Amino acid sequence: MRKIMRRVAVAAAVTLVAAGCANNSSSGGSGGSSGPIVVGSVNALSGAATFPEASAAAKAVFDAANAAGGVNGRQISYKALDDKGDPAAAAAAAREVVGADNAVALVGSSSLIECEINNKYYAQQKILSISGIGVDPACFSSPNIAPANVGPYHDMTLTLLYGSEVLKLDNICALLEIAGNTLPSYQAAIDEWTAITGKKLTYMDATVPYGGSDYTSYIVKARSAGCKAITVNPVEPDSIGQLKAAAAQGWNDVTWLLLTSVYSENYAKAIANAGAGVYVPAEFYPFTDAASTQTKEWRELMTKNNIPLTSFSQGGYLAAKYFLQVIKGISGDINRESVTKALQEMSPISDPMVGTPYVFGKGQTHHDNTAGWPIKLATGTNKWELAADDWLRIPKK
Amino acid sequence: MLQGALAGLAAGGLFAVLAVCLTLMSRLVRVVNFSQSATGMFGCYVAVWLSIYFGLPTWAATLVGIALGGLLSALLGWIVATWLAEADIGTRSAVTVAVLLLLISLSFILFGNKPQPFHPILDGPAFSVNGVVVSQVTVVTVALSVLIALGCRAVLVKSSFGLELRALSERPTTAELMGIPAKKLSVAVWGVTGLLSTLVISIVAPSQSNDATSLAMLVVPASAAALLGGFRRLDLAVAGGLVLGMAQGAVAQVDSLSVARYFLPFLVIVGLLLWSQRKEVWDVAR
Repeated sequence: MRKIMRRVAVAAAVTLVAAGCANNSSSGGSGGSSGPIVVGSVNALSGAATFPEASAAAKAVFDAANAAGGVNGRQISYKALDDKGDPAAAAAAAREVVGADNAVALVGSSSLIECEINNKYYAQQKILSISGIGVDPACFSSPNIAPANVGPYHDMTLTLLYGSEVLKLDNICALLEIAGNTLPSYQAAIDEWTAITGKKLTYMDATVPYGGSDYTSYIVKARSAGCKAITVNPVEPDSIGQLKAAAAQGWNDVTWLLLTSVYSENYAKAIANAGAGVYVPAEFYPFTDAASTQTKEWRELMTKNNIPLTSFSQGGYLAAKYFLQVIKGISGDINRESVTKALQEMSPISDPMVGTPYVFGKGQTHHDNTAGWPIKLATGTNKWELAADDWLRIPKK
Repeated sequence: MLQGALAGLAAGGLFAVLAVCLTLMSRLVRVVNFSQSATGMFGCYVAVWLSIYFGLPTWAATLVGIALGGLLSALLGWIVATWLAEADIGTRSAVTVAVLLLLISLSFILFGNKPQPFHPILDGPAFSVNGVVVSQVTVVTVALSVLIALGCRAVLVKSSFGLELRALSERPTTAELMGIPAKKLSVAVWGVTGLLSTLVISIVAPSQSNDATSLAMLVVPASAAALLGGFRRLDLAVAGGLVLGMAQGAVAQVDSLSVARYFLPFLVIVGLLLWSQRKEVWDVAR
C-alpha cells in the first residue's frame, strides 16, 4: 500500500513539474515571438445542430497563409474546439483555447450559444473574437466580439424592408421561434423596420416552437388573421414544415420573408411548393451564383479543401481573411495585446462578398453589418436565384 | 377553435395509427415499443435516400422504405422473442429505448442533420368546411387509423390467427404447450406494426417537419393516446390520438395557451397515470 502511495506521489510531482514547464513555455505569448501564432475558435461541431463549415473555412485560409510562408515568418496554429451545443462545454472550450493554449484571438467561431456564454470571459482575458457566424444576441452586443456576418436581427429588418418596400406587400405577419433570450432582439429588429417605413405587422406570434413536428395550426391562425406575407426566423427543418403546412392548406399566395438560416441547396431541393416565393436577404454575396466574380476566390479555396459551399463557410473565410489582413500590419511582436490593439485601431476592410466594410473598432456593441443581397426561391424551381443586382441596405438613421 | 382543431386532425390521425400499433404490441407481445415511430422514420429516410441516389420513383422508393420498416421491426421482434422471451415487460420495453436512440443516431450518421427532400405522396387540400381547409393527408390518416383499428379488431376476434394471438397474449405458456408457434406469431406482430407505422409516417413525413428526432419522438403523443385505452383497447387508442391531435391544434390558437401545446402529451400521460392509480394504496401500487 505504502509503495503505491509513494508511486502516486511521485507521479503527481512529475505531473506538476511538467505542467509548470508547459505553463512557462507558453506564457511567453503564444509560443514566444518565433513560435506559432495560436488562433482559436469555439464551434458547434457536434450535437443537435452542427456548423462545422465556418471553422473549416477559416482553417483553409490559415493553411493557405502558412503554405505561403506564414505571417512575418511565423506559422498560424488554428484550434477549432467543439462546444457540443452545451453551455458547460462552450465555457470549457473557451478556457482551454484562451487560458491554456494562450491564443492571440478567436477567429471564425460559429455556435448557437458561445457568445452568450463566453463574452464576459473574453472581456476579462482582454481577447477579441471575430465570429464567423454570430447567432445569439450577445454576439452583436459585446465589446469583445464582432462577427463577420450580418446576424439574424438585421437580417430580419432587411427581409421586412424587402417585403414592404420592394415587393410592396402589405399585411406582413411574423412567426417567431424564440430560443433563450432572443425575443427582445427580434422585437428591436421589427421596431427598426417600423421606424423606417412607418408600417406595422398585421400579426405576430412569438410562441412558435423550435423543432415542432406539425405547424398547421400556426399557419391556419396566421392565414385567418389576414396575413399576405410571413416573416419567420426558422431553422431549415422547421421552415420546411411550415411551408408544407401552408401547401397542405392550399395557401399558395403567401410570400415567405425568411432569413439566411434557410439559404442552402438542401433547403431549395426540399421545397416543392414555395407559395408566392421565398425571399431571403443573403448575409454574404449569394454563393449559389456560381459564375460570380465576388465569390470566385472563396469558391476555389473551398472546393480545393472539400468544404461545403454555404453561408457558414463564407463567414468563416471572411473572418480569417480580415484577421490575416489586420495582423499582417502589426509591426513588432504578434501577441494577444498587439492583436487586440490592431483590431481596435484597424481601418475598415472591404470585400466583394459583403455589402458593409468590416471594422472591429472600440465599440461597446458590434452590430454594424447592415446589407444583404436579396435572393429568391420560386415554386417548382428547387433553385435559389438572385432577386436584385445590388445590396439591400438598412437606411442610416 | 374549430379551425385549430381541424388543423390538428392530421397529426391526430398519425398519433392514432401509432397508438393502435403500440396497443397491439403491448397486448400481443408484451412490449411498449418506444422505437415504433423510429423504425418508421428510418424506413422513410432510406426511401428518400433511394430516390435521390438511385433515381427510384417516389412510389417505388416509398414501398421499399415501408418494407424495410417492417423488416427492421420484425428483426427487433425476433431478437426480443429469442433472447428475452421470458423477460418482463419492463426489460423488453427497455430494449426498444436503446433501438430508438440507435436509430436516431444512425440516421444522423448516415443521412446527416440537413433536411431531406421528401416528395409528397399526397399533397394539397381535400375539401373545406366553412372556410376551414381539410388536407388530403388529414383525410387519409384519419381514415387509416379507423380502418386499421377495425381491421385489427376483426382479425383478433374473427380469425383463427387472431384466436392464436389472443391465446398467446393471455396465456403464453399454455398456448405454447398447445403447439401455437409463439415466436413466429410475435415476429409477425412486430413486422405488421412496423409496416403500418412506416406506412403512415411515409404519408405524413413529407407534409411536416421531418428531421429524424421529431419523427422518432412522435412516439410520445402516441403513447399518451394508447394510455387512454390502457394499452388494451384499440377504440380508445384511436379516439385518444384524434382528440390529442385536435386539442393540440386548438390550444395553438390561443396565444396564452399555445406554449403549453408541446407539453400536452406529457400532461395527458401524467394525468392518465394518476387517474388509473387513483384507487391504489401507496405501497401496493408500487
